[in-house]
Amino acid sequence: MFDAEMTRHLAELSKIEFTADELEKMTADMTGIIALMDKVCGFDTSVKPYALDAVDYKELRSDSHEDSYDTEDIIRNADNVKNNSFVVPKVV
Amino acid sequence: MRYQPVIGLEIHCELLTDSKVFCSCRNEFGGGENTRVCPRCSGMPGTLPILNQNAVRLAAKAGFATDCTVNAYSSFDRKNYFYPDLPKAYQITQFEHPICTDGHITVCGDKKIRINRIHIEEDAGKLVHDDYEGISMADYNRCGVPLIEIVTEPDFRSAEEVQDFVEQIALRLKYAGVCDARMEQGSLRVDVNISIMPYGSDIFGTRAEIKNLNSLKAIGRAIEYEIQRQAEILDNGGTVVQETRRFNDNHGDTKALRSKEEAHDYRYFPEPDIPPVLLSDDDLEDIRKSMPELPHVRMARYTGEYGLPHDDAQLIISSKAFSDFYDEAVKLNPDYKQISNIMLVEVNRHLNDSGKTIEEVLFSPSDIAELARMISDGKVSNNAGKDVLKIMFEHGGKPMAIAEQNGLIMSSDTSGLEAAIDEVIAANADSVESYKNGNDKIFGFLMGQVMRTIGKGGNPALAKDILQKKIGKE
Amino acid sequence: MKLTEMRAELDAKNISAAELAQEYIKKIHDTDGKVNSYITVCADEAAAAAEHAQSLIDSGNSKPMTGIPVSIKDNICTKGIKTTCASHMLDDFVPVYNATVIEKLNSEGAVILGKTNMDEFAMGGSSQTSYFGGVKNPYDTSRVSGGSSGGAAASVSAGLCAAALGSDTGGSVRQPSAFCGVTGLKPTYGAVSRWGLIAFASSLDQIGVIANSAADTGYVLNCIYGQDKNDATSSARAQGNYTAKVGSDIKGLRIGLPKEFFGEGISDEVKTAVMNAAEYYKKLGCELVECSLPSLEYAVSAYYLISSAEAASNLSRFDGIKYGFRSGLGEDYNSLISSSRREGFGDEVKRRIMLGNYALCSGYYDAYYKNATMIRTQLRSEYAGIFEKCDVILTPTAPTAAYKIGEQENDPVKMYLADICTVTVNIAGLPGISTTCGYDKNNMPIGMSLVGRAFDEQTIIAVCDRFEQDFERKEARIR
Repeated sequence: MFDAEMTRHLAELSKIEFTADELEKMTADMTGIIALMDKVCGFDTSVKPYALDAVDYKELRSDSHEDSYDTEDIIRNADNVKNNSFVVPKVV
Repeated sequence: MRYQPVIGLEIHCELLTDSKVFCSCRNEFGGGENTRVCPRCSGMPGTLPILNQNAVRLAAKAGFATDCTVNAYSSFDRKNYFYPDLPKAYQITQFEHPICTDGHITVCGDKKIRINRIHIEEDAGKLVHDDYEGISMADYNRCGVPLIEIVTEPDFRSAEEVQDFVEQIALRLKYAGVCDARMEQGSLRVDVNISIMPYGSDIFGTRAEIKNLNSLKAIGRAIEYEIQRQAEILDNGGTVVQETRRFNDNHGDTKALRSKEEAHDYRYFPEPDIPPVLLSDDDLEDIRKSMPELPHVRMARYTGEYGLPHDDAQLIISSKAFSDFYDEAVKLNPDYKQISNIMLVEVNRHLNDSGKTIEEVLFSPSDIAELARMISDGKVSNNAGKDVLKIMFEHGGKPMAIAEQNGLIMSSDTSGLEAAIDEVIAANADSVESYKNGNDKIFGFLMGQVMRTIGKGGNPALAKDILQKKIGKE
Repeated sequence: MKLTEMRAELDAKNISAAELAQEYIKKIHDTDGKVNSYITVCADEAAAAAEHAQSLIDSGNSKPMTGIPVSIKDNICTKGIKTTCASHMLDDFVPVYNATVIEKLNSEGAVILGKTNMDEFAMGGSSQTSYFGGVKNPYDTSRVSGGSSGGAAASVSAGLCAAALGSDTGGSVRQPSAFCGVTGLKPTYGAVSRWGLIAFASSLDQIGVIANSAADTGYVLNCIYGQDKNDATSSARAQGNYTAKVGSDIKGLRIGLPKEFFGEGISDEVKTAVMNAAEYYKKLGCELVECSLPSLEYAVSAYYLISSAEAASNLSRFDGIKYGFRSGLGEDYNSLISSSRREGFGDEVKRRIMLGNYALCSGYYDAYYKNATMIRTQLRSEYAGIFEKCDVILTPTAPTAAYKIGEQENDPVKMYLADICTVTVNIAGLPGISTTCGYDKNNMPIGMSLVGRAFDEQTIIAVCDRFEQDFERKEARIR
């Protein structure tokens, strides 16, 4: 059921490039892993999905601004910066 | 064939908070690239979102403004996709448990448009494209600006209904202080989902989503264009493709956007970093109590109880501050019509000429109430009232004092008036004769002479009576 | 030396903070080549911190952690100091802010010696997936340290720090502590702020402490715990005073032994060692209670689905654009980030991201992710049931002691199954502590875990300490 097509789909969702060899290896690994994961499909119960405990509205952060960081600190770990902005190949 | 358009809206509104929705950076428009950014809103590793209470409050107010149920329990989810304006590669939004559900607004008189939901989410950054270098540059100042998204049911059947809805919702949100609703600045953004079907059918067609609509006019043009485009496709035996299209204001047409990802699978799941929010009954009541009277309610009051013409009432409510001013004035002097006239004609003219807003004027609603009373009591003439207002506008001051200082009070002293009229009759014997012989038109000339003689403080109604008596016509 | 003793030595000025720091830095330089527990050693920063610590001591203002030399797992952000997550993706990443735990350590004048090695992005149980090479076990350098906080555990075990901060998502503090023969505490979810901890699985991650004894883990937790305005999942229920019950009488304490933890897949040597510990407690007057966690069979799968789903989302931000490794390949945006992620991430990280997206993607969400979160609810209620009749739970920490490098860490399914003893504690958000309860035939340490009620770290620390008082530990060969 888990096949190379599924690996390609997940690779696209994951934005990870794979060579043909890597794809084959990943498909093999994933086949075994998914077989283990299939265990949960047999779990039959009507319990609710887990959710974090809710917090009271009154405890939320009150709305007042603070200083932002220096632009220099925001961009210092980027490889390609222009006009204090992060550069990518042109989109759309 | 003639087709029936079926339209639904998704409206994004930037909330008027002081700080961003998940961090404490200032929520503001414009500014140098990446100057209002911190590790949180730029998605640095190890950072966590902290929800802004006021974003929840304003979203709840938006719900109250649109007759939604504001839910006691709401929670956040992640919408996962890669795009360079989205530094975490997921948008925090509300998917499963939005804060507001099941609202409506009535448009075009009696058409009910249902609102499916209103949810809180974060805005993305801004991309600037450089065609020459073939690059896009990402600025994160807008990342984390709080938004609400208002999602309607596909209940619209015409562009007019859509425009009325957008106009009304923009005004309500402004009244409630939720959003400044400036379409041209992008603080209110309307996406239109539109399909067509043959008249009489109840099976919806395939819809297109139209983006980049930054005025009411653009919305109207885009809808008309889309109806045409989709009709041509169907008439030629084709099928409409479900896609996102961008409206081009210069050409008046829509073009398909290259799809961001070939498959849209956002993989929503509950945001593990933000606990769900509980609004108690007291919280909800506090927020509801803080709601101002909404424009549609005011509209009903003005046209009903106050008897104002529809267009006048519409003009007054189109600005909350203006309408608030009017309400304060009529509270002190319930001369609805007179005050409406003064404000819509004279006050508005001065505002337009000076470029000021009603909040900036040097006089108060009680001054306008007093001025209206002075006019209706015959203390000043209509024309003198205009002069009083001009001085109030330029220098401030109380209307009565201004009228007195400038000799604008109408005199009720008939002896001075009679002497002045006698003087005019004596000096214009020919005209008086002509009038007595049936030349009615010349009465106006004589009245003019009288008014010139008695000056602005003169009481024209009284003068007219006396003149008529003296020159012998009933 | 216990941390309380180190505190006394420093305050009595028998040793200066600078000398102590220098001693550790020298030891790291001399011996860490054999263990590879550190990625970055901060000699200069440590010297400066020690100087500051000494001034606090000299002015009579020392706090519990003043001058205490600690190591920090390399997924905890340290301002101005490289924080790599042992990944090529972040191998030159320098945070511009400190994690809350670092701020707290700094405010007490602790001395940070360096950043410790780990499994890449904390995904693994061997510390062999590090971009900077695997961590070796100080008891036997041909064996794994365990993981993912393998560097942290090895640094304590080899005497290369007085205590260490690690992180635990599915056992990553407790399991390497067991493998390296030291004590590891995973606090209750929400007891310690996650601000600055580079997220793996947000709903499961918790910063923990590794030290030479249970009392020492509590001593360090006293410094780093507490609700934090920067982490909305941190809790006001964390009470502090974590060593308060140490030394108190544990007679009458009810210790639960869930039978599923002593079944198939757990080595006999481990079972025997843990049961011996149970007998020890019984002799002290504790009551042993047989109990059951029926849904344990689903736990590993549920854990991997939830943690991988969250990881897939959390790790999406690593695209090489804002920080981190940027590939030279890629003509357009999509191929640029896909290449950066291909080259920047190791195989295990890629498998987790792929698995996470599988669990969440359209058509699979209900069967995998949603089912897993229902199992989570079920396991939490089963734990709640156990704690109605027990005060603490005793289990093995891992099915085996440390294995040979290369033996199983390349088989993902085998590796995942080995997490069976630890993952439910994260799924239920409970506190757990692992300590050495025996040695196997190769003289490798065997770990047992004590699990407590939410926010009741005091009890498990005290119960663990009681065992350690009478247990004779063997020192690591490299120490």
